[in-house]
Amino acid sequence: MNAPETRASAARGGALARWWRAHRWALAQSLLRLREHPLGTLLTVAVMGLALALPLSFYLVLLNLDRFGQALGEGQAVSVFLQAGDAQAQAQALARTLRGEQTVAAVTLKSPRQGLAALAALQGFGPALAALPDNPLPWVLVVEPRVAASPSQIAALVRQLRADPRVALVQDQGPFRARLDALRGFGARVMQVLAALLALAALLVVGASVRNDIQSRSQEIEVLQLVGASAAFVRRPYLYAGLWLGLLSGVVAVALTMLLEAVLAGPAARVDAAWGGRLGLVALDVTPLLALLLAAAMLGWLGARIASARHLAADEPA
Amino acid sequence: MIRFEQVSKRYPGGGAALDGVSFALEQAEMAFVTGHSGAGKSTLLKLVGLLERPSAGVVTVTARNLRQVRRRGIAQHRRAVGMVFQDHRLLLDRSVQANVELPLVVAGVPASERAKRARAALEKVGLGGMEQRLPARLSTGEQQRVGIARAIVARPAVLLADEPTGNLDPQLAVEIMRLFAEFQAIGSTVLVATHDLFLIKRIRKRVLVLDHGRLVDDLAAGEVAA
Ligand SMILES: Nc1ncnc2c1ncn2[C@@H]1O[C@H](COP(=O)(O)OP(=O)(O)OP(=O)(O)O)[C@@H](O)[C@H]1O
Ligand SMILES: [Mg+2]
Repeated sequence: MNAPETRASAARGGALARWWRAHRWALAQSLLRLREHPLGTLLTVAVMGLALALPLSFYLVLLNLDRFGQALGEGQAVSVFLQAGDAQAQAQALARTLRGEQTVAAVTLKSPRQGLAALAALQGFGPALAALPDNPLPWVLVVEPRVAASPSQIAALVRQLRADPRVALVQDQGPFRARLDALRGFGARVMQVLAALLALAALLVVGASVRNDIQSRSQEIEVLQLVGASAAFVRRPYLYAGLWLGLLSGVVAVALTMLLEAVLAGPAARVDAAWGGRLGLVALDVTPLLALLLAAAMLGWLGARIASARHLAADEPA
Repeated sequence: MIRFEQVSKRYPGGGAALDGVSFALEQAEMAFVTGHSGAGKSTLLKLVGLLERPSAGVVTVTARNLRQVRRRGIAQHRRAVGMVFQDHRLLLDRSVQANVELPLVVAGVPASERAKRARAALEKVGLGGMEQRLPARLSTGEQQRVGIARAIVARPAVLLADEPTGNLDPQLAVEIMRLFAEFQAIGSTVLVATHDLFLIKRIRKRVLVLDHGRLVDDLAAGEVAA
């Protein structure tokens, strides 16, 4: 028989190997646990998955509404009508200045002749226009603001243009843009609040599941403590279980959202077609999906951490 | 090495389970703790294993004052102490082998070595071949021996056994005591609580006698009247 174990010989293979063995054991235990209560696991994962799918789906819808809003806002370029009779050089000079503005994405110049041709192309106008002795149309600058430009920035630009003596008239859809922007901000806030609330719900669901697990295993926990398991050792399988529950729920949430995407694909394509394919409706990227998986796993771990902190009896002899 | 200095233990709402107990056990010494039911035998062992703390006095185990052992230190202390519990404390839904391996798992021993050592420990308590059985399907005496195998499997420096032979026939009880004596021979300090006088007489070791929480006798090995 060998001599009593000293700490040095127990540490065979080094601290890292021991650490890895402890984690591997905890991992196996956590999986056993989930398999032991398949129904409970399924229920937890389903509820949590639904909770996580909601903000993700909302995000998807919001993303496309944004595209839709942008398409609507496309016709919302600022039209600048110069004083009649202004020369081409002046129009070009103003266009150059405007292109230098931070809020401006593009400036298109329309000459009086182009304007007349466009009018003439409209049914019925041709003969009337031909009767005109002179081209009465002014030079027009079509200014497209940057997507990132805020309504107030664009409003400032419009004010500046109106004050310009070369400019006769500025046509702007400022209020529309402001409304769209406000709605977009509102939607984003709703999504954030929704996500926060549902993340909290997910946390509670995992926490409850882990608490049940801990309570049904009080005897095992006690025995582990009696044979010298540290608090971290006892806690670890529950943390892993929380991590798995979170990750599985994340998978469920992603699957549900993709299902939603598939269900909406047909109608969305018809909407897009009705707008001449200019909407460019989008599917979810890999990045938010991966982010959701990660967040779900972290939520699961956190829920388990909180539950174990509250419900694992401290091993403190009295 | 185990030393008690004027140790008393009073459970909340109870009388004195231990009352001013003092003794010292050298390393590689083996002793019995005996006395009537309720005399304080289990309490004494629990103080050594840090399952309880004394209300007064100092308990020192392997040169460490247990009063100063806290939190992480408690788990570490328990890993150095093997305990056989009066009520077995087995995981009834895990195999015999899984139960016996538990202290090794906690100590971070590799799986292959765990299995080997668990099998050897089970062999020693006469349970070879029962590795895959569930404790719930074993007789009380067999369960008790699974608990003994679990206590010795990590070759602890201190071995505590609370009525380890209560459910065993005399022949098996003597064999288990010889097994404990082997551990003593290789340097473990062994403390066995029992009220089995037959056993105490057969295995000639030091005997601590408790009576209502007081240490009333401390008989050297061989002093026990045959
Ligand atoms: N957790 C507890 N709470 C309150 N009183 C306790 C507790 N544990 C033990 N006691 C009391 O302390 C005294 C000593 O108990 P202990 O278990 O140490 O006796 P024992 O010698 O092991 O008895 P037995 O031979 O029956 O196992 C008894 O009077 C018992 O009722
Ligand atoms: Mg007892």
